[in-house]
Amino acid sequence: MNINANYLAVVFNSTIRMMTPILFVGLGSALCNRVFIFNIGLEGTMLTGAFAAIVANYYTGSIFISLLAAMISAMIVSWIAGIFMVKFKGAMLVVGVSINMLISGLTTFLMQIIFGVKGAYVSTDLVPLHKTDVSMLKQWPILQTMFGSLTYLDFFAFILAIILYFFLFRTVTGFRMRSVGINKIAAQSLGINADRLQIGTVAFSGLLSGIGGCLLTMGGVTMFAQNITAGRGYIAMAAATLGAAHPLGVVAGSAFFGFAQSMANMLQNSSISSQLTMALPYLATILALAIYNFSQIRRHAQ
Amino acid sequence: MRNQSNDVILRMENIVKCYGNLIANDNVSLHLNRGEILAVIGENGAGKTTLMKVLYGLEHPDNGDIYLNEKKIQIHNAAQAIANGIGMVQQHFMLFDPFTVTENIVYGKEPKKGLFFDLKSANQTISELSRKFDLPLNPTAKIQGMPVGLRQRVEILKVLYQNADIIVFDEPTAVLTPQEVHELLNTMKRLAEAGKSIIIVTHKLNEVMEVADRAMVMRLGKHVADRNIADTSIEELSFLMVGRHLIETEIPKIAPGKDILRINNLCLTREGSVPVLDHISIHVDAGEIVGIAGVSGNGQSDLVQCIFGLQKADSGQILVNGKDVFNRTVKEVRNSGMAMIPEDRFIWGSAAQASVAETAIMGHYEKPSFSRKGFLNVRTIREFAGKLIKEFSVKADSIAQKTSSLSGGNAQKLIVAREIRQNTPILMACEPTRGIDIGAIQFVHDRLVEKRSEGAAVLLVSSELSEILKLSDRIYVIYEGKINGEFKRGNVSEEELGLLMVGSKKL
Ligand SMILES: Nc1ncnc2c1ncn2[C@@H]1O[C@H](COP(=O)(O)OP(=O)(O)O)[C@@H](O)[C@H]1O
Ligand SMILES: [Mg+2]
Repeated sequence: MNINANYLAVVFNSTIRMMTPILFVGLGSALCNRVFIFNIGLEGTMLTGAFAAIVANYYTGSIFISLLAAMISAMIVSWIAGIFMVKFKGAMLVVGVSINMLISGLTTFLMQIIFGVKGAYVSTDLVPLHKTDVSMLKQWPILQTMFGSLTYLDFFAFILAIILYFFLFRTVTGFRMRSVGINKIAAQSLGINADRLQIGTVAFSGLLSGIGGCLLTMGGVTMFAQNITAGRGYIAMAAATLGAAHPLGVVAGSAFFGFAQSMANMLQNSSISSQLTMALPYLATILALAIYNFSQIRRHAQ
Repeated sequence: MRNQSNDVILRMENIVKCYGNLIANDNVSLHLNRGEILAVIGENGAGKTTLMKVLYGLEHPDNGDIYLNEKKIQIHNAAQAIANGIGMVQQHFMLFDPFTVTENIVYGKEPKKGLFFDLKSANQTISELSRKFDLPLNPTAKIQGMPVGLRQRVEILKVLYQNADIIVFDEPTAVLTPQEVHELLNTMKRLAEAGKSIIIVTHKLNEVMEVADRAMVMRLGKHVADRNIADTSIEELSFLMVGRHLIETEIPKIAPGKDILRINNLCLTREGSVPVLDHISIHVDAGEIVGIAGVSGNGQSDLVQCIFGLQKADSGQILVNGKDVFNRTVKEVRNSGMAMIPEDRFIWGSAAQASVAETAIMGHYEKPSFSRKGFLNVRTIREFAGKLIKEFSVKADSIAQKTSSLSGGNAQKLIVAREIRQNTPILMACEPTRGIDIGAIQFVHDRLVEKRSEGAAVLLVSSELSEILKLSDRIYVIYEGKINGEFKRGNVSEEELGLLMVGSKKL
């Protein structure tokens, strides 16, 4: 019984750690969906953040500057993508895929130049994100396991979801953002600078994906590997879709994928072939999206 | 009586606006007096909407000036127009369906409380505004599912909330029911009495006569005449608009042939139980126009969609020349010999982004003359489209132009041309003249009568009673999904039809 509870606590803890990077990016994706932008470039901007965080950390040894670098660099890349998508009316898919390929190649290349390694860079000199102190939970070992070894950013992800909920549904700016997604032409005819709002949203989603990337490289193990995001940007988009672009829905969507990922990690130690376990989060994505879309189609048909 | 002064509130001088090599506004000048209702009239494509877009900052003129209270102003965008007290109720409503009435009205000028959108005080303001101008609306209702008349009321309140002194209505009555039109015209008069200056863009001359003080006539991009309503007549205005006298459609007498389209006991229910079509049995013979009269929403649209394969009915028979096409696909139905002018030209009839040539063959591109083995025969298509726009006088720059840039009447003519030129034995025409001007209406009517003379069976669905009465050899009245009366030409009056349409039983 006790072992069982402990096991669940471990799964819970690992789910949280797996889900928060996805949650940051998913929230960005949800905002983009709200302004009717399909921002597939989030995979690339997340990778930008992950890489910038490692590089800044390597040179300054400051986790704060590391986070800042991740946010700013990812935001700039995303902002440029936004300009291409909105101002120059580039096909969103093409712009997004271009960004992703460009960043994937560029980070691999720069990794060799800066760190002189191929594949992965790991170093004990790097300063990771601060862990929250859970010693006050001493009397409850289960709770300690559940919330142990989490960073401040992990907690902030949930707070941010709530903030964004209020932002979207209670503030004027959020109201206008949603309106642009519903009917851009109407918004423009009412004197709203819809282009600027869309580009701004894409840039901000980039900033969030940068935080997600930083959390990925500086959260648990401090390391950067080639294409370390491994499709988490795409999974985050799926989480945003499943969560109906509602910040709290995105939390649920991310939890689902975080759980799939943590299951995959645990099953790695079992006798099941690792190729199969590694595919688990992606299979879960496809399955979840298929079920979601199917139910949407059914609802529309009625 | 309104106290309209001769105090000029707005002047537009020598406005020129070109789209490519088409001159949409050719040195047009307009003036508007305070408290006046000015009607801007003209055929489709005359440039009325363009002129209003220039005024509202949605288009930038190539030349010309705008003066407000005799002071020159610059209007680069809608926000500046609004700031200058100019409001516009556009031809296509600018609303957000999932939002509430209040949210739509206060948009762009939302009251705040600290960091947050103060919806509570917004709702209150809108309730007061709606009471003040006697335009009843529920502030917290969603736009989704609202009838057109109410949506328009939201648009009007929006303009009033923005504190507009000058209010432009672009084709406001095109989509309204007769009662809604009546209410709207009264609203306009009330607003003018309250000191607002109003421009109404329209081509419905009886409305102009009822509501306007003055009419400004446009033709082919030019301002051709100005008339005080007190000194003019419908006949004169219509002559000025089209540049020629209209000749009444002549309907030759012909004996109907055998029934080509026959529908037996067609039934459709929604959500399992609500009857939408209740044992509908009708027939249309060769050389006959059969009209379906009804208040919209009584099953006409569903009937047509079931016949055409766009919706699956529950039971019944749809016989085309004796062959049953019940619940077949649209393609099979078309191939059996049916063509359709759909009720909404942009939702069903065309794709906004498609070129004129593409629209001209839409739904027929698989015919052997247009394509072979999956490849389009571009030359034939171009020739066909070119011929269509010439024959049906569709005003278009070229056949490569986007369908969405055609004016409504021209887009409609193109669709009518496409469906008639398929030379099918059956034609269904749904609201074929909705929102188009008298010149174009006349044209479409003539083509329908021509089709009938060729021996085709024409089923006409229209909420315009005058149209039904003028064209139909036989009329069915539809009410709540049931046929509530059938008449031969000349055997029923408009009043009788009107009563049957709202459910009264035949005596
Ligand atoms: N965005 C556009 N691009 C090209 N041509 C246009 C555009 N908008 C309108 N036009 C053309 O300008 C002419 C005037 O159109 P419009 O002002 O809408 O006429 P009206 O409102 O009087 O029916 C039409 O021939 C129309 O096809
Ligand atoms: Mg117009």
